[in-house]
Amino acid sequence: MLPRRMTLLALLAACLIAPAPSSAQQDDGYDESSFMSRSRRITFDGMRAGEGYFSPDGAQMVLQSEREPGNPFYQIYLMDMATGDSTLVSPGMGKTTCAFIRPGTGEIQFASTHHDPLTQELADDEYRVRNTGEERRYAWDYDPEMEIYVTDPGSNEFTRLTDARGYDAEASYSPDGEWIVFASNRNAYNRELSAEETRLLEVDQSYFIDLFLMRADGSEVRQLTETPGYDGGPFFFPDGSRIIWRRFDEAGLIADVWSMRPDGSDQRQLTDFGAMSWAPYVHPSGEYILFASNKLGFTNFEVFMVDVEGTKEPVQITHTDRFDGLPVPTPDGERIVWTSQRHGDENGQLYMADWNHDAAMAALAAAPARVANSES
Amino acid sequence: MRFRGLMALAVLTALVAAPAALAQDTAEDARRHVEFLADDALGGRGTGTEGAAEAARYLIAQLEALGARPLPGADGFRIPFEFTAGVRDAGSRMAGLRHNWDEAESIQALAFSEDGEVSGAQVVFAGYGITPPESADYPYDSYATLDVTDKIVVILEGYPQDADDDARRVLSNFADVRFKAFLARTKGALGILVVSGPLSQGDGAVRAPRAGMAGAGAGIMAASVSRAVASQLFELAGHDLAASQAELDTGNPHAAGYDLGVELTLETKLNRDRREGYNVVGHLPAAAPAGAAKPYVFLGAHYDHLGHGEFGGSLAGASQAGEIHNGADDNASGVAAVLLAGARLAAAERQRHVVLGFWSGEEIGIVGSNAFLTDGALPAREIAGYLNFDMVGRSRDNKLSIQGVGSSESWRGLIERSNFPVGFDLTLTEDPNLPTDSTAFNLAEVPSIAFFTGSHVDYHKPTDDAESINYDDLARVAELGALVAGRVANGDAPEFVAFQSEVRGAGRGGSQVFTGTIPDYAADITGLLLGGVIEGGPAEEAGLQGGDVIVNFGGVEVGDIYDYMFALESAKIGEPLEVTFERDGETMTVTLTPRARE
Repeated sequence: MLPRRMTLLALLAACLIAPAPSSAQQDDGYDESSFMSRSRRITFDGMRAGEGYFSPDGAQMVLQSEREPGNPFYQIYLMDMATGDSTLVSPGMGKTTCAFIRPGTGEIQFASTHHDPLTQELADDEYRVRNTGEERRYAWDYDPEMEIYVTDPGSNEFTRLTDARGYDAEASYSPDGEWIVFASNRNAYNRELSAEETRLLEVDQSYFIDLFLMRADGSEVRQLTETPGYDGGPFFFPDGSRIIWRRFDEAGLIADVWSMRPDGSDQRQLTDFGAMSWAPYVHPSGEYILFASNKLGFTNFEVFMVDVEGTKEPVQITHTDRFDGLPVPTPDGERIVWTSQRHGDENGQLYMADWNHDAAMAALAAAPARVANSES
Repeated sequence: MRFRGLMALAVLTALVAAPAALAQDTAEDARRHVEFLADDALGGRGTGTEGAAEAARYLIAQLEALGARPLPGADGFRIPFEFTAGVRDAGSRMAGLRHNWDEAESIQALAFSEDGEVSGAQVVFAGYGITPPESADYPYDSYATLDVTDKIVVILEGYPQDADDDARRVLSNFADVRFKAFLARTKGALGILVVSGPLSQGDGAVRAPRAGMAGAGAGIMAASVSRAVASQLFELAGHDLAASQAELDTGNPHAAGYDLGVELTLETKLNRDRREGYNVVGHLPAAAPAGAAKPYVFLGAHYDHLGHGEFGGSLAGASQAGEIHNGADDNASGVAAVLLAGARLAAAERQRHVVLGFWSGEEIGIVGSNAFLTDGALPAREIAGYLNFDMVGRSRDNKLSIQGVGSSESWRGLIERSNFPVGFDLTLTEDPNLPTDSTAFNLAEVPSIAFFTGSHVDYHKPTDDAESINYDDLARVAELGALVAGRVANGDAPEFVAFQSEVRGAGRGGSQVFTGTIPDYAADITGLLLGGVIEGGPAEEAGLQGGDVIVNFGGVEVGDIYDYMFALESAKIGEPLEVTFERDGETMTVTLTPRARE
């Protein structure tokens, strides 16, 4: 499985279409140093890494990285933010993605396919494809074997929380640690599909993905979104009052950042670039949302921020060629971790910078009102 | 850092404020070390000079203060080695055909020649004297039709100038005269005479031996003869050297050499000025040694520099010639980093012994560290890892390069963890074959990395002074070095990987083309960022300057340093070529005319 938001890169490569309408460059007088300082790459081990998320005290960060010998997929690691030491917390085999630390207990949830009897075959196939450039025997992007697990780090015991056929992933905890919001296309596998739906599932498994809520033990599952097209990447607001996520249009080409109440009501669109805007995360101040968008170039994602109500025009944060996305602030709000290809190869790695919250607040206050690019 | 044409870097702007968490005293310690070593009083710390001896006394006092001890079996911290400070011809001559050539303008021994005499040896012309090794996969063999056993070989300097690009690119890698002498020896020749051919650039004068190429004898008598003498010799033997060169210059691999049909007496004599230099090496014993294999982890930095410019490759312009080269960044900064890291490690738990080594003779050819490893004062097989610090005092924008991580699979993980609390914006590069002391360790199969903050406009100039050092970040380099070394000291020994360097452009002394560009090695952009241009060089004359990004050089698209070296090898001396570059967002093209490297 590709990571919850890096999946989009694969889609981009697949559909060579013209970019969404965009201006060449935002000209608001800001550059990266306006909001970030001491930028540095923090992962070097292994061929790729991404999606860092923090424990509530900021002492630990969970991330995914391909660095286990013999396994050509992401596994989940827990990094000590004081020493830089990292330890494997997932099974070490199969595909994993989208980890999150449970507030209060320190348990870690992630999505994994390690129970799949095809695991070794898939690993061999992946190495064969890399070595020879031949076609994949297995082509799905949203592996229906992907299920959500929880583990106590170091225990090497994994409790499965979902068992519905279909892709279950992209999960995160509520601030009180009692709830999990996640994405799933289980509704494409639990009923007879129409001919048109069957065709859709073949070309785009993500079309059927909606958001769901369940208790931390996997019980009381309820569906939060029902619109056609991919809803994914949900996270709670710091106070637990709302959920932020990204919603694709039916064609899977344009995405925007939305928020809603945890019961699925009051769904509001916060961005409107007419481009692919995704990977939102709320700053711990609760004042603004960091997200990524390819507004400025089809494969050149940059990090932006927008006020939580989405009333203002977003402000561009990163200004470096190649992919910059998946921004996540530390719980104290003073640093930011994101995934980038700015070092120059195709594989993402994690970067960190010191974050200037005051400058961000001032820039948001000065930003003009949002201009509509498309109908809400 | 030892001079190499394509080494150097970056003039980035804006200093970054140090993190407040950094203990101020370590930055002040770094300043104290650098200001002492880079003071005019030490005269540029040339190997074997009183200034270097004064530096060594300072380092010994610092080691004693850290509680370090001499290596087991060593008499003290000072570990001497011999080096050649100067070399001159002592009356080499050649005779035959009723002629006697013994004037200094006719023949002089090359610096690496054996002293010796041979009478009545047959003489063979072997063209450019190049046979690429099998790995180069290029069919060219100057010796294909020749038997040179117990004979004297005459060869041309350089490589076929009019051959096609591919040929020149390959052959230039093997055109170094020392490599040619080595090849002639393996073919069984007793002596080798080298001449700048009648069709080559320059006046064809005899070459005087240069100390930079000296060292032990190459196992063959080797001499430079003037173009006039060589032409005369060919004429007396009934041949035409210019015509032979013309045939060879097309690059035709079937243009063969020939037996001159004459006999010569050759005598080579050199006076070598042998002197003694000192490495300074101590170790911090482990409290409870692991007892396992490889019980040492090693941090090293060279403390010698260029003196007044006479010890190695000074880049001083005419207006600065002969001034003291203080070498604050190169390499008082690295010495300070090792001392600071040593102080941290002395206070830390360690299961391996920590060795702190300060090399001399680096600027004259990595002599000190090579001698240390050759002499066996500490067997290389007992060293778990080596960390080199050379030019680490000019960090800009929080940037630091660590080179040579390809020498072990363990380095990336060790560095990722260690850098996390330090927070440098790191660039890691794989190739451990570098123009600094870590190469000696890599060749001895010790996993080796090199810390480097990039070259700059003061590189190898008298202006490399203490006030330009970024002491806060220098202290952070030491902190990172101590963390990496500490992890090696308390973990599994990194496993050595024999890294295969890129063949392309790796020729040492092969490319004779001089452009006067100073590439920024650490830059991570598309194209080649110039850290600067050499005063009065072709690049400066063409209008290039530091900060320009070369994207096309003589029709070759330049994406990175290797592309640039590729392009350089296809450039021809004296032939103008177009250089396209970007400056301030604009793309411009200028004409540059390469000259012969002096």
